[in-house]
Amino acid sequence: MTKYLRSAVLLLLVAALLPLVPAGTKALAQDKVTLRVTNWAGVDEAAEFQAIVDEINATATDFELVYEPKPDDYYVQLQTQLAGGTAPDLFWLDQNHMAWAYQDVLLDINSYLEADDRGAADPADYYPGVWQIVALNNGIYGLPWIAQPVVLYYNKDIFDEMGMDYPTAEWTWDQFQQAAIDLTNEEHYGFILNSWPPIHMFIWSMGGEVVSEDLQTSPIDTPEAIAGAQLYADMIYNPECCAPEEVIAEEGNAEMFKAGRVAMFMGGAADDLDRVEGLNVGVSPVPQDVNGGNTTFAWTAATVINADTENPDLAYEALVQLTEAIQNWKIVSPRISQTTIEHLVASEPRKEANAEAILAAVPDMRALRIIPRQDEWDTIFWEDFQDPLFHGEDSVENLAADARILLEDVLPIE
Amino acid sequence: MSTSAQTLDRDATMIDPLAQRRRRMDLLARVLIYFLLLVGAAIILIPVLWMISTSLKTESQLFVYPPKWVPDPIEFSNYVDAWNSLGSIAPGLTFWRIIGNTLFITVLAMFAEMFSAAVVAYGFARFYFKGRDVIFFIMLATMMIPPTLTRVPAFLIWRELGLLNTYDPLTVPAWFAWGPTYIFLLRQFFMTIPRDMEDAATVDGANPIQIFFYIMLPLVKPAFLAIGVLSFQGNWNNFESPLIYLNTTQMFPLVLAIRFFQESLSKEAPKWHYMMAMATMMAAPILALFFVAQRYFIEGLTVGAVKG
Amino acid sequence: MKGDPGAFATYYPTLLRYVGVAVGLAILMYGVYRLLRALGAKQESATGFSLILPWIVGFVIFTAFPIGLSFYLSFTEYNILWDSPKALEDKLFNYKRALSIKVVELHEGERPIQVLGTMSGNTPETVRYRELAQFTFRGKHYVLGATDGYFLKGVWLTLRYAVISVPLGMLGALGVALLLNQNIKGVGFWRTLYYVPAVLPAAAVALLWFWIFAPNRGLINWFLKPLYALLGVEPLGWFTDASLVLPSFIIMGMWGIFGANTVILLAGLKNIPKELYEAAAIDGAGNWVKFRRITIPMLSPALFYNLVTNTIAALTVFTQQAFIPTNREDGWFVNWFIYNEAFNYGHMGYASALGWMLAVLVILLTLLIFRSSSAWVFYEGARRQEGGA
Repeated sequence: MTKYLRSAVLLLLVAALLPLVPAGTKALAQDKVTLRVTNWAGVDEAAEFQAIVDEINATATDFELVYEPKPDDYYVQLQTQLAGGTAPDLFWLDQNHMAWAYQDVLLDINSYLEADDRGAADPADYYPGVWQIVALNNGIYGLPWIAQPVVLYYNKDIFDEMGMDYPTAEWTWDQFQQAAIDLTNEEHYGFILNSWPPIHMFIWSMGGEVVSEDLQTSPIDTPEAIAGAQLYADMIYNPECCAPEEVIAEEGNAEMFKAGRVAMFMGGAADDLDRVEGLNVGVSPVPQDVNGGNTTFAWTAATVINADTENPDLAYEALVQLTEAIQNWKIVSPRISQTTIEHLVASEPRKEANAEAILAAVPDMRALRIIPRQDEWDTIFWEDFQDPLFHGEDSVENLAADARILLEDVLPIE
Repeated sequence: MSTSAQTLDRDATMIDPLAQRRRRMDLLARVLIYFLLLVGAAIILIPVLWMISTSLKTESQLFVYPPKWVPDPIEFSNYVDAWNSLGSIAPGLTFWRIIGNTLFITVLAMFAEMFSAAVVAYGFARFYFKGRDVIFFIMLATMMIPPTLTRVPAFLIWRELGLLNTYDPLTVPAWFAWGPTYIFLLRQFFMTIPRDMEDAATVDGANPIQIFFYIMLPLVKPAFLAIGVLSFQGNWNNFESPLIYLNTTQMFPLVLAIRFFQESLSKEAPKWHYMMAMATMMAAPILALFFVAQRYFIEGLTVGAVKG
Repeated sequence: MKGDPGAFATYYPTLLRYVGVAVGLAILMYGVYRLLRALGAKQESATGFSLILPWIVGFVIFTAFPIGLSFYLSFTEYNILWDSPKALEDKLFNYKRALSIKVVELHEGERPIQVLGTMSGNTPETVRYRELAQFTFRGKHYVLGATDGYFLKGVWLTLRYAVISVPLGMLGALGVALLLNQNIKGVGFWRTLYYVPAVLPAAAVALLWFWIFAPNRGLINWFLKPLYALLGVEPLGWFTDASLVLPSFIIMGMWGIFGANTVILLAGLKNIPKELYEAAAIDGAGNWVKFRRITIPMLSPALFYNLVTNTIAALTVFTQQAFIPTNREDGWFVNWFIYNEAFNYGHMGYASALGWMLAVLVILLTLLIFRSSSAWVFYEGARRQEGGA
């Protein structure tokens, strides 16, 4: 008797408990549609981003953005979420990861853009060299919100001490290299290279390419490309002009410039290198390329929409509003109409002194040409070309010839 | 009389140097043994002390040459700073939140894992049924399967269930006795218990469930505590599963949080003093538990292996 | 903040399902018991079977089914971002890609990558042989190439790690156990002390040793500084220098391996009947003979247990490698390598094939140990049976 009683109680208990077991995480029903957005921002940046989100939420009538910062292991975590179907509706991707567009996980916003006449939604207002990171795989997969050109920061005090003229936009690479040698003595080095800025910039500057326009070849063994790579190899870790590897490992890369241990540094235009206390820093475009321009590398990223979003229309609306707001927050805006000193200073007042030099660098900047297997390409380019080159394991010609074969294996076949 | 005494005397004088030598050898051997033990202890302790020492240094003291064992000044604030910098990783992520997450995973998994292992081990040890030994052998054989093999499919299963980025994959399957070692250890222990005890209880009208809770479990206490420590340790330290299944920063356990110090919190120079503070904090609860339970622990741990 | 679901919101659903599964499982066990009884099973059988049911259910859901699924996936191409796997034209492609090697003669002035060429057959993408090593044989120069050198290097590193660290660790543990068995004072204290490294979290241990081995400010290089000065060499770059990666991991592994093994061996030593030694002493056996003829055979089951568990652990090193970043070129422990293939590069199909190969390796090695055990592992039970017959 008791036995049956006990099983009856157990059964009742289960019957009572089972409905409580939710099948998974479900969004609560609300008047407004919830859209989740994530990025890699650390705490300070996240607070600023949250302010932008709050502002948009205050005016939006049909959606509410919920911000989930993901400061660590961003891409692995995001990829897992995409795979698991739990990824946010909107997220940031840097240019290398725009290759996800080829995996059909990003929403093609081309049709929306055609019907939209707002500034942030106007492809013609973006620099073509930057727009190419979203215009791929026969569609448009997001809106770029930043295009930071690499510029040359220089320590004026060291130049004055050595009695040398400040760098100008007219400098050739030969002049630059000579200056780096002349600026090196016991106390400081002329220049510092530590796989940053990317070698791509040097190759472009000499007239070479790392990926051809049709995405079919990686001609890094042409004489132009080799000249660029050779220039890089000649300077990196070479104590005659630049900080050696061990010294960088001990003292840090940008840290060395901030400590007055290096006279010239190539960094992103938004870096804080020109507002270090006690350091008198000037900014100039990088030296001239073979065509007389100042071709430079653009560090760029875009906000994109998850292809699996349940509300593509609202997500697109949020994307445009977010992009517009971020372009007024981050420097440098990738839009042609916003390439003005007023706009730059309004976004970042601390860049006022060097705004002109930064804007001079903008028109000649270039982003990568994104291919479907970008991550593999990047890995080969690093492991089989840059890394051995920087450590002098073989000649540029040999390394480039070998690496080209490997790189072209992962290029798309048409 | 005198002759025998003389003989004895002579024997004594003859043996004495030998005995002395042996005693000296014995002493030497003992000194050597303790010396070796001390060397071993030094090898064990020096890294641990170095960890604690580093965790109490200021950043500039990390560079001091030759290194100092006792930091000056002793910087207890490293611990507080390390906690606080965890809070700076993401909004809402505090040190207590991380400890809470870790304990939530550990306690749930540990309880289910111990309980189910005991139930299954009891079944294997005390009841005969067809195919029991084959099943037991299969269970032992699963120890050979590297977790690598089931990682991808398990991920896909949890994905189908819509339970990625929840604590479920880390806790709920523990009910299914996922630790063959624990079952094995407990079974060995159950087998040492004389059958009479159950028979007597059965005669008194107890059912198997009552026997299990009131007679068997108390008797295997050492083994149960041993797997308790092992299980706590295993779940507290588990790194692989949270790495795969958790995506929301605020849900991370301690072991994933420590990685922040290797990545986003150490842009250019690794913050060793913080990392060692975190490592010390992560190790402390386990060491404390181990010292408290060590007597049972070692007893419980050894029964299975030696008799197996 | 809004993006944070809050602690309770993340715990609560799991807690509910946790309880739900426990209750469900209990009901299932009871149901199976009733069913078996109704089918006419004896009470003992029915009880026993229902008691082990949790393990059986878990085995089916979380072991057997995943193993089968992984086997299926290993014949497909499956990017983590895809909804479903794609069939491969060449079913065995993943396996071939992992294991293909090739030796080609290298003439003067030729580049290895050009002579090695690509993998033939039906491949979904171009797979190229990469140089692993060059060697000269009978005056001719050859190059050895592989299609996934990183995997092979990982396997090679892992195997060497297991083959070196496991016996060394066991010898060390045996030595310590013999020391502790010498009637010394405070065995409990020493035993506990020696167990400490085994309790420390692997993540903490890895970080700690990474710090101890730091090239410029690490403890080890400070200790060795006089030696470096004497030999006139540069301080060693422990985890960074290709040739020192393995020794560094072995030293770190040895530190943790002692305790657990020692405890088990010590218990084994205590279990050896004193009479055996006394009898041997009467026969005039020396210490070495006693050790060789009594201690080792009587200890062999414990040694065997240690050997099996340590070998499996050594072949599946994961956490240590995750916290100690080394160059992929120098080899990553294969378990970590496979994790990265799956969840970092997103190659789930390929990772499944690699997982299968690691599993086969582990199982083969374990079986080898089992097979060899009849030659050296001595079971008291077996002896008694022989005596009885």
